[in-house]
Amino acid sequence: MKRTTLLLATLLIAIIAMGQNEKYYQKMGETLGKFASTSSVEDFQELANQFGVISRVETEEWLPHYYEAHCYILMGFTGQLEAAVQDSYLDKASASIEKMMKIAPDEAEVYVIKAFYHTGYLVVDPPGRAMSTTPLINAAISRALTIEPNNPRALFLAISNEMGTASYFGSDTAPICEKAVRLLESWDDYKLKSPIHPNWGKNETEGIVNSCGQ
Amino acid sequence: MKQSILYTLLLLISGNLLAQTSITGTVRDGKGEALTGANIYLEGTYDGTSSNLKGAFLLESSESGEQTLCIEFIGFKKFSKEIKLDGSSIELAIIELQEEFNELTAVSITAGTFEAGDKKKSIVLSSIDMVTTDGSSGDVYGALQALPGTTTVGESGKLFVKGGDSRESKTYIDGTLVYVPYSSSSPNTSVRGRFSPFMFSGMMFSTGAYSAEYGQALSSVLSLKTNAMPVQDQLNISLLSVGAELGGTKTWDNSSITASISYNNLTPYMKLVPQYTQWEREPESLAGDMSFRLKTGKSGMLKFYGSINRSSLTTIEQSLNQPGRTFNYKLVNDNQFINASWIGEIREDLILTTAFSFTNNQDRISIDSIKLNESLRGTHSKVSLKHRISDRVRLLTGTEWYARTYGQELPHAEFLEHNSYTNHTLTGFLEAELYASSRFITRLGARLEYSEYLNKANLAPRISTAYKFNDKSQISLAYGWFFQDPDNEFLLHSSNLDYERADHYTFNYMMTGNKRMLRTEVYFKQYRNLVKYGISDDQNYSYINNQGDGYAYGLDFFWRDRKSIKNGEYWISYSYIESIRDYLDYPYETVHNYTSKHNLTLVYKHWFDRLRSRIDVNYSVASPRYYNNPNNNTFNGEKTMAYKSLNVNWSYLLKQHVIIYATISNLLGSEQQYGNKYASIPDEEGFYRSAPIMPGAKRWFLIGCFITLSKNKEINQLDKIN
Repeated sequence: MKRTTLLLATLLIAIIAMGQNEKYYQKMGETLGKFASTSSVEDFQELANQFGVISRVETEEWLPHYYEAHCYILMGFTGQLEAAVQDSYLDKASASIEKMMKIAPDEAEVYVIKAFYHTGYLVVDPPGRAMSTTPLINAAISRALTIEPNNPRALFLAISNEMGTASYFGSDTAPICEKAVRLLESWDDYKLKSPIHPNWGKNETEGIVNSCGQ
Repeated sequence: MKQSILYTLLLLISGNLLAQTSITGTVRDGKGEALTGANIYLEGTYDGTSSNLKGAFLLESSESGEQTLCIEFIGFKKFSKEIKLDGSSIELAIIELQEEFNELTAVSITAGTFEAGDKKKSIVLSSIDMVTTDGSSGDVYGALQALPGTTTVGESGKLFVKGGDSRESKTYIDGTLVYVPYSSSSPNTSVRGRFSPFMFSGMMFSTGAYSAEYGQALSSVLSLKTNAMPVQDQLNISLLSVGAELGGTKTWDNSSITASISYNNLTPYMKLVPQYTQWEREPESLAGDMSFRLKTGKSGMLKFYGSINRSSLTTIEQSLNQPGRTFNYKLVNDNQFINASWIGEIREDLILTTAFSFTNNQDRISIDSIKLNESLRGTHSKVSLKHRISDRVRLLTGTEWYARTYGQELPHAEFLEHNSYTNHTLTGFLEAELYASSRFITRLGARLEYSEYLNKANLAPRISTAYKFNDKSQISLAYGWFFQDPDNEFLLHSSNLDYERADHYTFNYMMTGNKRMLRTEVYFKQYRNLVKYGISDDQNYSYINNQGDGYAYGLDFFWRDRKSIKNGEYWISYSYIESIRDYLDYPYETVHNYTSKHNLTLVYKHWFDRLRSRIDVNYSVASPRYYNNPNNNTFNGEKTMAYKSLNVNWSYLLKQHVIIYATISNLLGSEQQYGNKYASIPDEEGFYRSAPIMPGAKRWFLIGCFITLSKNKEINQLDKIN
């Protein structure tokens, strides 16, 4: 009798847990589906809200924080806003990144999004912030590559920065283009840990490769 | 039993199939404006939505029973409400969100204050401005002289603020005093700050009415915050037309070390560029510094900085007392400085700061064979506690101990007479910042000091307040008493003196927004207990007392526009100062020699994207100052010539890690003369001979190259990875 009760209780917990997990994947999947079609600040805000709702329930998961931060960074990138407003979005992103760092301090993608956040912060006021922020971007990319040397998004950010510098200084971009081509070729070799793990960057890398051809 | 468990199980699973409850409502801010994009959700569930353009929302949930509805939106406080879900729809009344208190956007006290940093709305300068604004090659104090309230005194180079002399301005690094912030130089030549602007990430420059945290300064306080932990290993090489510097940074996960060594020698430069000053030996200096950072615990940070510096120079001076005779003026300066601080949270709402600084400075002067030495050794220890009682109330309290020994060695008959004094000062301060709302702040503080040498105490009340009309404009008012020990020179001769005192009244109006800033300020300063003395027949001080007084009032105007010109920005800084004093050996109340009535500085910065160049142009004009001519019956009755200088900096990004820099001061070669110096004894006809005081040369040039080699191992190894 006791054993049956125990068994049933375990089963119950398992069902609920699985249900929860399924719900998490389902919710994440649903919300991520909208990512591609989102462009305005208002829409990103709504998306960020949805990831916020998930992150508050799933306190052990870093992905909802990741996407919430991603939304706010993209909102911060939107031009024509007062610097203070852009900063307020980036502050939200920073708060999510802080939480994510506590949950998954050894996850390369966390440092990728951190590098992306610092880039957003720099873009608000390049002359005033470049000096103090550039080393932070580089450090975050370095950290991501130390953890996962083949992370395509970290490689993409590194190549993209290198490309920006090279074209700015008018130096030869051919070797960087080569790297971009190789990255694109090997892009799909990188195995995603799950369908809801970060999966952006291929289009952007293609963009670099295409601009190289011109 | 089995059945009941199965039944429960079924019930739990089917719970998901229960009827949906819909919750509707509208979210607004305090002014009744709709809030779009607010996040509405049931706590602990996946049920959430966002408000639409009208602030309205519809939240559907299959949960049941008691739930907590939460609403969140950037800049507003989280709203939560208990609701009961039972399948029937719920219509909520209009929900008004309370604005969240945000220190960065809330009103801040701006009376007398200029802040530099990257983020805060009230900042006047960005960190990079501290490096690029001025014509004297990255001197912190040079950059500050482009702000209103300051007067450029060419023969000094130090800070002169709102009618105060340079002694009345104090410099603090990470909270502790820098006893000797300037380099040493021969009389009537310009000095520079000892610290590179690249060391600092934040600055608070107060031209009056500062917090009770700061004392021993009658006019102004410059508080510098050193950089946070560096994030990458790097090597810096600077090659300048006057010297070179080599520096390196090594970082670990929780700590870092930076060290540098520099050598400057002006001989080649001064051989090449004609100088007014006659040099026996051109200025030469050797300096080394080291800093260390360590993260402690969750939020603690330990910072250490130490520097050693030796500089020397010898000029050939014309004797005014004995015409035709020259003498050598030789100066050797040794300076050692240590600054250490630890800051950390001991509770979430409690920040503890402990800081310590040590200065040892020695000037050894030889005038031909006559030797004079001046030495100062000082420490400053400080413990302070910041308590955030609530969003609206913060308390700052602390205690300090200052100890300094000042000494002179003067020739007396055949030997050097040593004379020195030591003073210990204990202080305590308490200050409360009270926000009535995010628009209205009052800061109330008091500072108590006791000097063991003077055997006297002082109590300085300070009050300031600011009110924000709207997002763009605010006013700020401040009043306070400020005390300072008399100058070392006088304390050496008498301990029977009292603190000097200044009372500040400041009114400030500021408008910001859209990358433009207007800042105006009017102020009045009342000085009392200033040191006065007479000169006895044997050229010594007689009757040193505290009977001096004076006042200063004026208007500051500052306009900065980062919007109108693409890739460019400009600012206009103007100050009007009226300042009268009766102190030192003045025979009566009159003007003094370090304040220009009108000061105007125009700054223009332009970034040429395609040329990867940045040009900074700085034009300063100051009306004549007064100086004393002993041949004239009126004290301080002579006028200097107006000061004009056009300075241009050019920085060029050659490669990502290589910057070429060039600067020229007084490009137009405007004539600059800072009055006359006079013989100390008259000639046979009772006439005091004179010579003009001039800058060292007509123009000053500097060319430099800064190379940063960073070791981004992972990034640089990209080629191998793919």
